[in-house]
Parts: sequence; C-alpha cells; structure tokens
Amino acid sequence: MVVSVNHLEKQYGPNRALGGVSLDVEPATLFGLLGQNGAGKTTLIKILLGLVAPTAGEAALLGQPVGTFSARREVGYLPEDHRLPEYHTSTSLLDLYGALQGIPRRQRRRRAAELLDLLGLAGREKLRIRGYSKGMKQRLGLAQALLHSPRVLFLDEPTDGVDPVGRKEIRDLLLEERRRGVTVFINSHLLGEVEQLCDRVAILRKGKLMVTGTVADLTRQKASWLVAFDRGMPASFRFPGATVEPVEGGSRLRVSLAPADGPPPLPQAEANEAIDYFLAAASAAGLRVRHLERERATLEDLYLAIASGGGTP
Amino acid sequence: MIDPDRPIRSDAEAERVAVRPMVLRTFAAILRDTWREFLDAKVLYLLLLAIALLFGAALTGRIEPQPGGRQYLDIAARALAADLDGIDIATQSMGDVAGRLNGSVYAISAAEPLEADLPEGHWKATLKRTFIPLVGAPETGEEITARFGRIADGQLWTITEIRETGPEWTRKIGSQTWEMTVAPGRDLRLLWPHRFTLFGDSVELAGTKGAPLGLEVLILQKLLATGLGGTILLLVSVAVTAAFVPNMVRKGTLELLLVRPIPRWQLLVFKYVGALLLVAGLLGILVLAVWLITGILADVWSPGVLLALPSLLVFFALLLAVSVLTGVITRSVISAMLVTVAYWAILFIAGQMNNVAVESRIREANVGKMRPTSIAETIRGRQPRREEGLKPGRRPFYQTTIGRMTEGVYAVLPHTEDLDNLVDRQLMRDFAVAGPFRALMESASFSWEKGLGLTLLHTVAYLAIACAIFSRRDP
Repeated sequence: MVVSVNHLEKQYGPNRALGGVSLDVEPATLFGLLGQNGAGKTTLIKILLGLVAPTAGEAALLGQPVGTFSARREVGYLPEDHRLPEYHTSTSLLDLYGALQGIPRRQRRRRAAELLDLLGLAGREKLRIRGYSKGMKQRLGLAQALLHSPRVLFLDEPTDGVDPVGRKEIRDLLLEERRRGVTVFINSHLLGEVEQLCDRVAILRKGKLMVTGTVADLTRQKASWLVAFDRGMPASFRFPGATVEPVEGGSRLRVSLAPADGPPPLPQAEANEAIDYFLAAASAAGLRVRHLERERATLEDLYLAIASGGGTP
Repeated sequence: MIDPDRPIRSDAEAERVAVRPMVLRTFAAILRDTWREFLDAKVLYLLLLAIALLFGAALTGRIEPQPGGRQYLDIAARALAADLDGIDIATQSMGDVAGRLNGSVYAISAAEPLEADLPEGHWKATLKRTFIPLVGAPETGEEITARFGRIADGQLWTITEIRETGPEWTRKIGSQTWEMTVAPGRDLRLLWPHRFTLFGDSVELAGTKGAPLGLEVLILQKLLATGLGGTILLLVSVAVTAAFVPNMVRKGTLELLLVRPIPRWQLLVFKYVGALLLVAGLLGILVLAVWLITGILADVWSPGVLLALPSLLVFFALLLAVSVLTGVITRSVISAMLVTVAYWAILFIAGQMNNVAVESRIREANVGKMRPTSIAETIRGRQPRREEGLKPGRRPFYQTTIGRMTEGVYAVLPHTEDLDNLVDRQLMRDFAVAGPFRALMESASFSWEKGLGLTLLHTVAYLAIACAIFSRRDP
C-alpha cells in the first residue's frame, strides 16, 4: 500500500477536522479526494505529509510512518492557494526547493530545465514570479511538486486557473506519472475532471469518509435511457413497467424502466432487454428513433447527494 | 593487512557522510534565497545611495591645521607643574599648580617655529621657572625633559635640546631659564586646532578657530559609523529583514518548505544566519568606508573605529532575533518591524538612563576633586572647576527610586549601550580626547565581556524560543 490510514482523528481545539478515517491506496493510482470546504481533505493530506500531527490513529506512507525524512523524500506536494515567493524566478525557485530536497546541483538544474520545458514555462527563466499569471504559477507549483521525481503526489486543485489546453496537458502529465508507477492524490472541486481522470475517489463529509470506490463503480449505469423520436409521442402510447417523462423542454424523453420509488434497478441484461421491448413497441406505434443514450450516475449526482446530507445513494 | 571483504564504511559512517553535505547544501540554498529576498527590497538601493551621498559629501571636506600654536607650548609648560600621578593638571589654574609643586610656576616666555610646516615642525622656545627659594630646589634640564609636554590628554611636545641660559645668581633668587628646541609629541597633531570645511570652503564645521583634529575625526567617525550612518543602516536592515520570517511562514508558502526532508529549525536558523551575514557585509562596508574616508581626509589611521563593526553587528543580531521571534508568533511584517523598533527604543532609553546612573556614581566619588576638562576647553580659556557635591538633601541619581529601577532593569537587559560606550572609549583613547565624557566612558562598569555576553545570551534565547514555537506549531 502506498497510503495506509487507520482510524485517523484530528482535533483543532473544539473542532473535529477528522473523525476516524480509514483508507488504503494502492500504487499507481490516481486518487480523487472530494468533499466540501472544511470536510477535512486538506487536514488528511497534511497528516499524510507529516505537516500536522494526528490526534489519534495511524498513518503510513510507503510503509513508513508519515513525516519521516525518508518518507518526505518520496512525496511531492502542491498546496491549495500556494504562494510561491515572488522574488524568485522559476529556475531559482526550483533550485531552492531542489536543494532543500537534497538533490545535487547538476541534477536539479537538469531536472528543472526539463520540467519547465514540459510544463510550457521555458523561455521565461528571467521573469520574477511576481509577474506570473495564475496559470503560470500553477504550472510552476506543479513543477516543484514533480522536481524530485516523487513516488506519491498530493495535488490540491492542480488545474486551478489553467486554460483548457493547459488542463489537458496537465491531465496527460498526471496520466503519464501514473503510468510510471506514481500514486497521485487529487483534491478538486472540478468533478468532471476528477471523473475523467481518477481511478478511485473518496468523498469526505465533516471529517468522515462517506464513500470510497472506483470511479467506474460509483458512476455505474442507471436503468434509464434518454430517447429522441422523430416526432411527438402519441398520447395513447403506453408501455407497462416504464415511466416516460419529457426532459430538456420536451426534445427528449427519459424512459425509466423501474419506478423511482420502486424496487432496485433491473440487472444489466434485463434492463437492456426491457429497452428493446420498449423500442419495439414504439416502432410499432410508428415512431422512429433518432437518438438513444443510456443514463449514468455522474460523480456530481453522488457528490450532491452526500453534500446535501444523505448517505450512499 | 586490509581485509578485502570488510565494508569500506559502516552504515553509521555512510549516514554521517550523507548528512553533512545535506546540511551544507540546505544552508547554501537558504543563504542564496535570503540574498535574493534581500536584493529584492528596493529600499536597499536607496540606502546605498544615501550612504554614497553622505560619503560623497564627506569627501568634499578639507581639514587643515590652523596657524599658531603657542598656546600648546604654554599648556606643555604648565604641565611641568603636574603631579604626574594625579589627574588632569594641565587644566588647573596657575594658583593650584604653584601650591602643589614646590611653589614653582613655569611659563614659556618666547616661542617661534623653526620650520614652516605646522604642527609637525620643530619649535624653539624659552622656558622660565619661578620658584620660592628654600621651598623649591633648582631643577636640571633632564628633569624638565622628562616631564615636559606630558599632559592627561597625551604627549604634546618632546624636548630635543635644552640648555640653561640664565646667569648662575638668578637661581638663588628663585629664577631659572632654559633655551630649548622642542619636537611635536605623539599627540600634538591630534590636539592641534584644525579647520574643517565642506564643499570647498562654503560650510565651516568646526568654527573659525577650528577644533582639535582628533576631536573632529572622532565626531566624524562616530557620526558616520555608530551614529547616524549606523542607525540608518540598521533601521533599513530591520525594515527589510522584518519581512523575511512572516513571508516564510505565510500560508501557502510555509507548506512548500515544511514538506522538505529537513528539520524545521534549520529553516529558521539558516534564514537568520543568512540575513545576519548580509547585514554584516553592509556594516563591514560602512565601517571600512568610514575608516578609509577619515583616513584620506585627515591622514589619521587609528583602527579604533573598526570596533564599531562587532558592536553594531552584535546589536543587529539581537534585533534580528527579536524580529524573528515576533515574526514567528504574529506572522505579520508590521508587527515584527514595530516590536523590533520598540525593543530598540527601550534598550536605548534604558542605556541612556543607565549612563546617567553611572555618571552619578562617578561624580559622587569625585566630589572635591578637579573636574577633568579637555584640552579643547583649556584652549578656550575655560576655568577648571572642582566637582561639586549635590545640594544638601538631594540624593545622587543612582540612589533615587528611578535610578535603582534603572540599574536593576539594565542589569538584566542586553548591554548594547555598553558596547556603544566601549567603542566611544576606544575612539577617545585613540584621539587623545579628555573631559567629563571621557571619564564616563572610562567607567569600569563597561566591559566587552559583559556587553557581548549578555547581548548574545538574549539573542540565543529569543532564537531558541522562536525555533521551539516554529517546530511545534501546525501549519
């Protein structure tokens, strides 16, 4: 396990930031950590980095207790709202952090040039960080996290303030890191991005771990379809076992093959079979299908359900 | 025999070898970081400009000896009457002197320079001694040579040739006359009045009569090094360095440093040492420049002013420790700056009040003795006075409640004022400056050991507290 957390608790005065979180993360995982502001995401990461001591519980990183120097050599961190010292240039800043990380001079220079090039910051070496745009700062922040080729990355909003092309580049970079065997923790409010990028996610609420699982599991297909016919559906059309409701101003129909408050969704095969019957019946009624799409539960649905106080939906 | 299978190093040794360059690398990196942050403060360039202007102005100065100087021979003659183990007899009145030494009075009756270049040239002078027969015995030329020109301020003249001229019988009625050639003594140049003008002749700094060269150099060195120049430099340094720690412990910046595999105290201590080294460089430049400029202007190369460097540096080390501690606690640049300047003000006031207390002790111990006066005062014809006791019912300052509190508080505070006094004392010794202020500076209660020791003790304590807080606090 890259990360192993056991009944972790953290108390800030009267405030409980973490209330018994347990979590295991395997190597080469892109792990999304979700939750509202104040849910305890940053506290959890800070404990894993050894910046903050837990009140109770255990946390291990790469098999060693968190906060040891050998653990810190393997970790890269991009904090939220990071503020890079403005009097530095990109090269001088990476040189400072590289030296503090214990990288010999020649090596850290080569690595810094490589990363600046990779992150599209090459050619700006003389410019002080004071003159950087938010996106550039973000890229430089990412560069410092990657500088010492860590085995674990903790990134807080890694694409914050970056333009769409840059975001794509950063996503590709993170996928490449994972391919190399790096485990990446991502704190993000951009749920679409997390869904697109991450293998596993965990959702925290008020210091408790509400859900954890693979993205594929959490965003499984629903037993409902969005259908568009070439013309309006005759009022007489009926299909037992399906609820039909217009969505998107009537341009499409949502066909649910189980009542909203009824039994759990049909198994995969039965659901597929059921929609075939439905379409056959529609065809028999003279309707032609122009569009068909199976609905999925998005991470956003899940997130909103948890944020609004529910448990696992 | 070397066992080929034996490992070259044990694991512990390997660890040590690996760790040592790590600490050096960390230190070097933080030093470069500090240097960058320091240079980033534009106010630094303003400071350097201000100092350059100050020195530029000083370099337009001209220091020239005043003509004349007969009065210095008179003082040297009067000094013959001195009880040489006693205090500043050169400043006593004729009556005092006569009473104290064999009833003799010495006077220069004629004097003229042999060469044109004053004050370095030789002089020819006639010395007359009048004494009361039976009370005072005739004196030999050797006795005169041994004592002539030695005054409390220094050595004014030395006799190179002496010949008794008066007829033999005059001795019997209490009169002796010598013709002599005198050479300038070690300190004559320093005590000789010099004009000091700036910007050509447009600004006259020492009045038309001039002041002793040593005093002029002392005031110039004190003004530029420990006085105005040093104060400006330290103020700017405090302002610039006050931002260092708050900037470092700012949310979003601190985390990027704390995740590195180095102990937290190193971040703080290395930053501190880095800032200290930079300010040491600036102070070094300042003090060296003062020494060079006064040397070039006045051709006086006494190295006493170089003592201002350790004195100012130790003082700044203390201020920086206060600034670091405040920065760690409050994380605010303004607070760090204000608290440091307030601390400075407290030290200054306590130091000045303590000086008053020390002075009151010296004064009390000297009641009834002659007040020490400087040669400059003597030249101006100021009459020496005896130290007077306080009016009945009044206690000396050090015995008053405020005086006791002052001395009590000062005893535990860093003795930075002592360090300043010690530099002044060295300058006064270098430049043969006497007077009541010199007497205060010579007080035995000021010592380098105590001054440096207490200041460094406070410095280390503040830093240790800062490190303890910094190491324990959650970011």
